[in-house]
Amino acid sequence: MLEVERIDAGYKDLQALWGVSLRVEEGELVALVGPNGAGKTTTLKVVSGLVKPTAGNVLLDGRSLLKEPPHRIVEMGISQVLEGGRVFTGLTVMENLELGAFGMKARKAKDQNLKRVFSLFPRLEERKRQRAGTLSGGERQMLAIGRALMSNPRILLLDEPSFGLAPLLVEQIFRMITEINKQGVTVLLVEQNVRAALELTQRAYVIENGRIVGEGSGEALLSFESVRRAYLA
Amino acid sequence: MLAPIAQNLAFGILVGGLYGIAAVGLSLVFGVTRFLNVSHGELLMLGGYAGFWLYTLYHVDPFVGLPIVVLLMVVLGVILYKLLFAGMVKYPEETKVKNTLLVGFGLGLVLQNVALRLWTADDRGITTTYSSQVISLVGVRFPLVRVASFVIALVVLFALHQFLQRTYTGKAIRATVQDWEAATLMAIDVQKVYLLAFVLGTALAGMAGALVSVGYSIQPNMGLEWTLITLIVMVLGGLGSIMGTFVAGIILGVAQSLTSFWLGGAYRDIVALVLFLLVLILRPQGLFGAKEG
Amino acid sequence: MRAKRLAALAFVVLVIAALAVLPLFVKKDNIINLASLALLYVALASSWNILGGYAGQTNLGHAAFFGLGTLLTRFLWLGGWPLWAALLVGAVVPVILALIIGAPAFRLKGAYFAIGTLALAQVLNVTVANRWPMITSLPARYLATYRLMPRYYLFLAVAVLTVGVAYFLVKSRLGLGLMAVREEEDAAESLGVSGLRHKLLAFGVSAFLAGLAGGAFAFYHVGYYPQFPFSPAWTFDAVMATYIGGTGTIVGPIIGAVFYVIVKELLALKVVEAHLIIFGILFILVVLFLPGGLLEVWSKIRSALGGRAKSRKAALPAG
Repeated sequence: MLEVERIDAGYKDLQALWGVSLRVEEGELVALVGPNGAGKTTTLKVVSGLVKPTAGNVLLDGRSLLKEPPHRIVEMGISQVLEGGRVFTGLTVMENLELGAFGMKARKAKDQNLKRVFSLFPRLEERKRQRAGTLSGGERQMLAIGRALMSNPRILLLDEPSFGLAPLLVEQIFRMITEINKQGVTVLLVEQNVRAALELTQRAYVIENGRIVGEGSGEALLSFESVRRAYLA
Repeated sequence: MLAPIAQNLAFGILVGGLYGIAAVGLSLVFGVTRFLNVSHGELLMLGGYAGFWLYTLYHVDPFVGLPIVVLLMVVLGVILYKLLFAGMVKYPEETKVKNTLLVGFGLGLVLQNVALRLWTADDRGITTTYSSQVISLVGVRFPLVRVASFVIALVVLFALHQFLQRTYTGKAIRATVQDWEAATLMAIDVQKVYLLAFVLGTALAGMAGALVSVGYSIQPNMGLEWTLITLIVMVLGGLGSIMGTFVAGIILGVAQSLTSFWLGGAYRDIVALVLFLLVLILRPQGLFGAKEG
Repeated sequence: MRAKRLAALAFVVLVIAALAVLPLFVKKDNIINLASLALLYVALASSWNILGGYAGQTNLGHAAFFGLGTLLTRFLWLGGWPLWAALLVGAVVPVILALIIGAPAFRLKGAYFAIGTLALAQVLNVTVANRWPMITSLPARYLATYRLMPRYYLFLAVAVLTVGVAYFLVKSRLGLGLMAVREEEDAAESLGVSGLRHKLLAFGVSAFLAGLAGGAFAFYHVGYYPQFPFSPAWTFDAVMATYIGGTGTIVGPIIGAVFYVIVKELLALKVVEAHLIIFGILFILVVLFLPGGLLEVWSKIRSALGGRAKSRKAALPAG
C-alpha cells in the first residue's frame, strides 16, 4: 500500500537519509526503530510531504506522492502525528478535533469519526470544552492521535507517541494504537522505546545513521543480536 | 478643568477605535504569516484616498462607499501578495521577518511617492452635509462622523472575532497562527490561509484609512506615522487577541489626546513612540511573540 | 595572490589620490558639491553596512545617529568650540545612545530591533522639530570665510575613514565573529562568540561613524532646519544604497552610494522626487531576486565572460 523507495533527503547541507526503502501493507502495524537522530522523523516527514526528498520516490497504491503538497496528502488518507503531539494549545479540545476533520471528505464524516474518537478516548469527551493547553501530557498525546483520526486516515504515522510519558500511560497509548490498527487503520510507528515497539508490531525496520540496517518480524528483531546489544541491554 | 479633560478623553477614545481596527489588520498578517509589513500605514493611506476620490469624483457617500474601498483593497492585497510576498513563505521565520520588513519598507516608499506625485502633498478630508453634526452628552461633544466610524470599527472587529471563533476557516487561521506545520497536517492549505490573512489585513488597513478621511484628514506622508502607531498597538495588545488590540488602540488614543491637552499638540506624536520604547526596555519578553492561551 | 593584493592596494591609493586632487582640476562648485554628497553617502551607507550588512541587524533609525551628530557638532561649533572637538562630541554621543538602545533591543530576535530603532529615530525627529523649529544658518562671520574645499576634504576624510574602519573590522577576528553571529547565532554562542557583545560593538562603531558624517554635514551646510538630518529619508537612502550596491561587502555600499547619488542627480533634473519611486522599486527587486546587489550582477557578468566564478561567492552575502 505504502512504498518508500530509495529516498535521499536532508536539511540544508546535512543529508539525513541515504537510500531509505520500506513498505507497509494494508492493515499492518509496522515500526521504525533506531537511536536518536537516525532519521526516523525525517522518514515520516517525507511520507507526509513536509520534507521533500532529493532522490527516490514515495508511492501510495502505486501513485507517487512527491508532487503533492502535505495538505493534499492528508486528504489522500495519510495522517501524521508529530513528535510531542503539537496540539493547538490555544484552541479547545473540540476545536482541535474539528480541525482534524478540515478536509472536505472528512468534514462530511465528522460526527461519525467524533464518536469513534470519544469511544477510544473517553477522557477527551469529558474535556472537550477545555483549552488544549490545560491538558496533561498524556491527554495531549491522546488528543493528537484523536485529531489525526478525525481525517479518517487509511494510514496513521505516529512519531514517538510514548515520548515523555509515564510507563503506565505508555502502555495505555500502545493499547490504543493496537486497537486503532484492529479497526482497520494501517499504522507506521516511529519509536525510541524499542522493546515496547517491537513487542507490539508484526514487522519492523531498524534505521541507523540514515540507513535501513535491518528488517523483520518484531520477535525476530528482538532476538537479533545487534539489536539486543544496541537497544535492549 | 474637568470638562476639557472629558472632551479630550472622548476624542481619544474615538480615534483609538481607528488605531484598533488598523492594528488588528497588521496583527492578523503578522500572527499568521510572520510577515512584518511596514507598508501597512501606506496601505491605510491608499484606502483613505480611495474613499476621498469616490466621494469627490463620484459623490459616493463615504459610509456607503466603504464596501467599495474594501473591495479595491482586497484586489490590491491579492496583487501585492502574489507579486511580492508569496515567494517568502518558504523562508525560516527570522529571514521572513527581515525580508518582508525590507520589502515593505521599499513598498511604502514607492506608494508614498506615487501618491505624492498623483495627488500632491495637500491635506485632504471628506466634508459631507452631516460632517458638522455633533452629539452633545453632558457637555461633551461627540462629532457624528467620528462616532459612526467608531461604531463601524467596533462592529467590524466583532464580526471578525466571530468569524475567527466560529467558522472552519477562522479556526484554520487560528491554528496556523499557533503551528503552521501541524496545521498543514490537518489538510489546511497554509498558503491559502496566508493569502487570506494578508488580504484581510490589507482590507482592514484600507477601511481604517477611509474612516480617517471622513473624520480626520489624509495626506501622502501619513504612512510612516500610522505604521508606527499600528506596530505599537499590536505590541501593546498582544498577538492573537482582537479585543486586546482594540483596547490597546483606545488606550493609545486616550494617552495621545491627554498628552496634547497637557503638553501641547506637538508632543502627541511622541507619546506612542516613548510608550513603545519603554515597553521595549522594561518588558521586552513575550509581548511580541505572545501566543493565544 | 600577493601580486593581486598589491594591485588592489595600488588601486585604492590611486582612487583616494585622484579624489584628493580632484578640486585642483575641477573648479565648478556644483561638481564638488555632487562629489561631497557622494562621499557623504558612501560614509552613511558603509557605516550602516557594518551593523546591517555584516552583523545582519536591520537598523531603521540610522538617521537618529546622523542627526544627533549634526545637531551637536553644529551647536558646539557655532558656540565657539574648535571644529575637531565638536566633531568628536558629535560622534561619541551617538555611540552612547546606541549602547543604551542596543542592550535591550538586541536581546530580542526578529523585528524588535528594526522597529525599535525606527521608533527611536522618530522620537528624536519630532522632538528636535518641536524644540528647534527655526532654521539654523551660518552667522555672517562664518559665511565670510566659507570655502567649499575644506568641506570637501572633510567628507573625503570621513568616507575614507569609514570604509577603512569597516575593512579592518571585517578582516579582524571581530569581523569573523560578527558574521558567525549573523549566520547562526546559537552556534556562534556555543563556540564562545558573544552575540550581544559583537552586535553592540558593531552598533557602536556604526553610530560613531554616522555621527561623524553628521558632523561633516553640519560643517558643510549653510542653512537647514535642525530636524532635516533626522528625517527618515537619510536612513532609507543609506539602506537602499547599501542593498543596491551589495550588502555585507566593502565595495557594495560604495558602488551603491555613488550610483544612487548620480542617478538621483540625473533624475532630479527631469522629475523631482521620482528617484524615490525608481529606487524603491529597484530596492524591492534586489531584496527579492538579487540579494547580492549590483556586485552580484558584476560578478555574474564576469564569470559568464571569463569563467572566473571564484569571486562570486565572496560577493554574495548570506543574510
